[in-house]
Amino acid sequence: MSELSVNHLLGIKYLNQKDIQLIFETADHFKEVINRPIKKVPSLRDITIANLFFENSTRTKLSFELAEKRLSADVINFSASQSSVKKGETLIDTVNNILSMKVDMVVMRHPNAGAGMFLSQHVNASIINAGDGAHEHPTQALLDTYSIRERLGSVKGKNVVIVGDILHSRVALSNIFALQLQGANVMVCGPKTLIPKYIDKLGVKVETDLRKALNWCDVANMLRVQNERMEISYFPSTREYTQQYGVSKALLDSLNKEITIMHPGPINRGVEITSDVADSKQAIILDQVQNGVAIRMAVIYLLASKIKH
Amino acid sequence: MNVLIKSATIVDSKSDFHNQTLDILIEKGVITQISKHIANPKKYQEIKLDNLHVSQGWFDSSVSFGEPGYEERETIVNGLKTAALSGFTSVATNANTYPVIDSSADITFIKSKSKGHAVSLFPIGALTKSGEGTDLAELFDMKNAGAVAFYDYQKAVSNPNLMKLALQYASNFGGLVMSFPQDSKISGSGVMNENKTSTSLGLKGNPSLAEELQVSRDLFLLEYTNGKLHIPTISTAKSVDLIRKAKQQKLDVTCSVAIHNLLFTDEKLTTFNTNFKVKPPLRTQEDIDALIEGLKDGTIDMVTSDHNPMDIENKKIEFDYANYGTIGLESAFGALQSVVTLKKSIELLTRGKERFGIKLSTIAVGSKADLSLFNPKNSYVFSKNHIISTSKNSLFENIELKGKSYGIIANNQIVLN
Repeated sequence: MSELSVNHLLGIKYLNQKDIQLIFETADHFKEVINRPIKKVPSLRDITIANLFFENSTRTKLSFELAEKRLSADVINFSASQSSVKKGETLIDTVNNILSMKVDMVVMRHPNAGAGMFLSQHVNASIINAGDGAHEHPTQALLDTYSIRERLGSVKGKNVVIVGDILHSRVALSNIFALQLQGANVMVCGPKTLIPKYIDKLGVKVETDLRKALNWCDVANMLRVQNERMEISYFPSTREYTQQYGVSKALLDSLNKEITIMHPGPINRGVEITSDVADSKQAIILDQVQNGVAIRMAVIYLLASKIKH
Repeated sequence: MNVLIKSATIVDSKSDFHNQTLDILIEKGVITQISKHIANPKKYQEIKLDNLHVSQGWFDSSVSFGEPGYEERETIVNGLKTAALSGFTSVATNANTYPVIDSSADITFIKSKSKGHAVSLFPIGALTKSGEGTDLAELFDMKNAGAVAFYDYQKAVSNPNLMKLALQYASNFGGLVMSFPQDSKISGSGVMNENKTSTSLGLKGNPSLAEELQVSRDLFLLEYTNGKLHIPTISTAKSVDLIRKAKQQKLDVTCSVAIHNLLFTDEKLTTFNTNFKVKPPLRTQEDIDALIEGLKDGTIDMVTSDHNPMDIENKKIEFDYANYGTIGLESAFGALQSVVTLKKSIELLTRGKERFGIKLSTIAVGSKADLSLFNPKNSYVFSKNHIISTSKNSLFENIELKGKSYGIIANNQIVLN
């Protein structure tokens, strides 16, 4: 039976093409499962998973929890606000305390880049990175590319533009790696203040004109502006941002082709996309959410199968 | 202390004995004879070591020993022992302490703590009160107590007017002002060099621009004030260019580079290893090439280990939270020799003394013995076993080094590994 090349999911950049292929095939199966009347399989009855969220999250946390429960794993949840982190405990101690209660796998969201890798080097459990600072959010990129594959048949050769706040976005980075690994062409588009200066060295195109970007692409992944991560204003006003980088139905209709619109959520309606775009048939935003559960089930299942009891 | 060093190759381009393998007799701490074969009728201690080389004592212009306040990182006594066993006879210590060394009483405390040791300690006082970058500290008083320079360790003085005043004021009494080359607004919360690696790791980048802006600013201020400036630990190619031009203009400026910035690029950070989190950050190969060129043509005056012991509690944590710094005394010579020749290494390890007002020692009969003893050919892989420091945060771990110190003879004492 095939298995993943890694024992943790820390980022897309640590995966290979076959890993992604395997995750997608496994997700296909789980997607069928979650659409059955009985949405649950008994695969992980002997596995306990801790969801450690050191940063706020609603949809990712729910999606992971649902994925875990549908695999019949035992689940415990932990978030920073109720933790001893505030009392000065180190991350390693916090996690080791939880692991000593016989937890097999940790799903962690953390405000610092590299926190997942750091943990994997120091504790004995399988780690899934649910977002670490502005580094990676691998399951998001997997579900995004899975959704492209579902909508367009394949990812290979497709032109995908990621629009918005690239600088503070782990979704952008993981998507770049995942899209490139699957043979897509990637462009980032946004105000220069929100695009890392050296992003082109990762092999992506850079465009500041949204219309040009949309005319080039097959898929536009619209990111949310992460105001909470900004210590200074990177653009003068939301109004001005929307004038340049907001996608409206009128803009979509004026393009020379019908493109697919994605959004990792939560959407600021009227900022990065208007409501009529979000609710249009070109948008696959809710498909992304549904696929998120299947992808996370696949990742958890594949990593759990590597845990030696 | 009386000792006879047998068959030592002298490395001292200014000495008549340069490159000769000779015996050196030291009596009561003073060199009394240098020649081919010296008899030992008085049965003095003899030092005979494999491929033994000696040079005048090495100097490091930027070390931190933690005390007072951060004794868990390093103490003065163990710091001096580390320096001695690493081949250094003189060190200038940073005001990287708590409280910050910013008064003559503090300088006197540090001096008294180091009294009686083989290694000579030269304290650097803070440039501003408590190192806060707001008001000048009592520079003149500290100088009289023994401070050799004034520096808010690794903190940029962001107010240009304050730096202007510092350069003007210190020039009254020939004080040496040091300015950390980083514009803190541009560097922001950057934790590594801004480039491809920082982008791919999602870590905030600290661009070269932050350093170059500050170096430019300080050189303009220096030109205006006719002061005396030392820019510690430069790390970018453009900084080398800027300082080269300033020297051509005959400005009174010197600079140093940290040895680790000569060896490693920012690609070392791909595993988020906090030992590679240093300030200034590890840059690119182009920067390294320019820095080495700067060493060769004399633009960069000296190297430093920028020895900064950091307890594990401040290193074995998430990358963003980890403190900056690496230890470097133990690995300094071995690392430097992998970049430049032996002769150049010794020159770079001794040339800074004059700038910091420290008396040069020569290897000559009648001179006080101030010697570093070493084997330049000893190649080995640096490991935790080689660390003498209280803190073990070395970015040289598992790196192959070339050349190892045997120890020193200085201040009428012998300290050998």
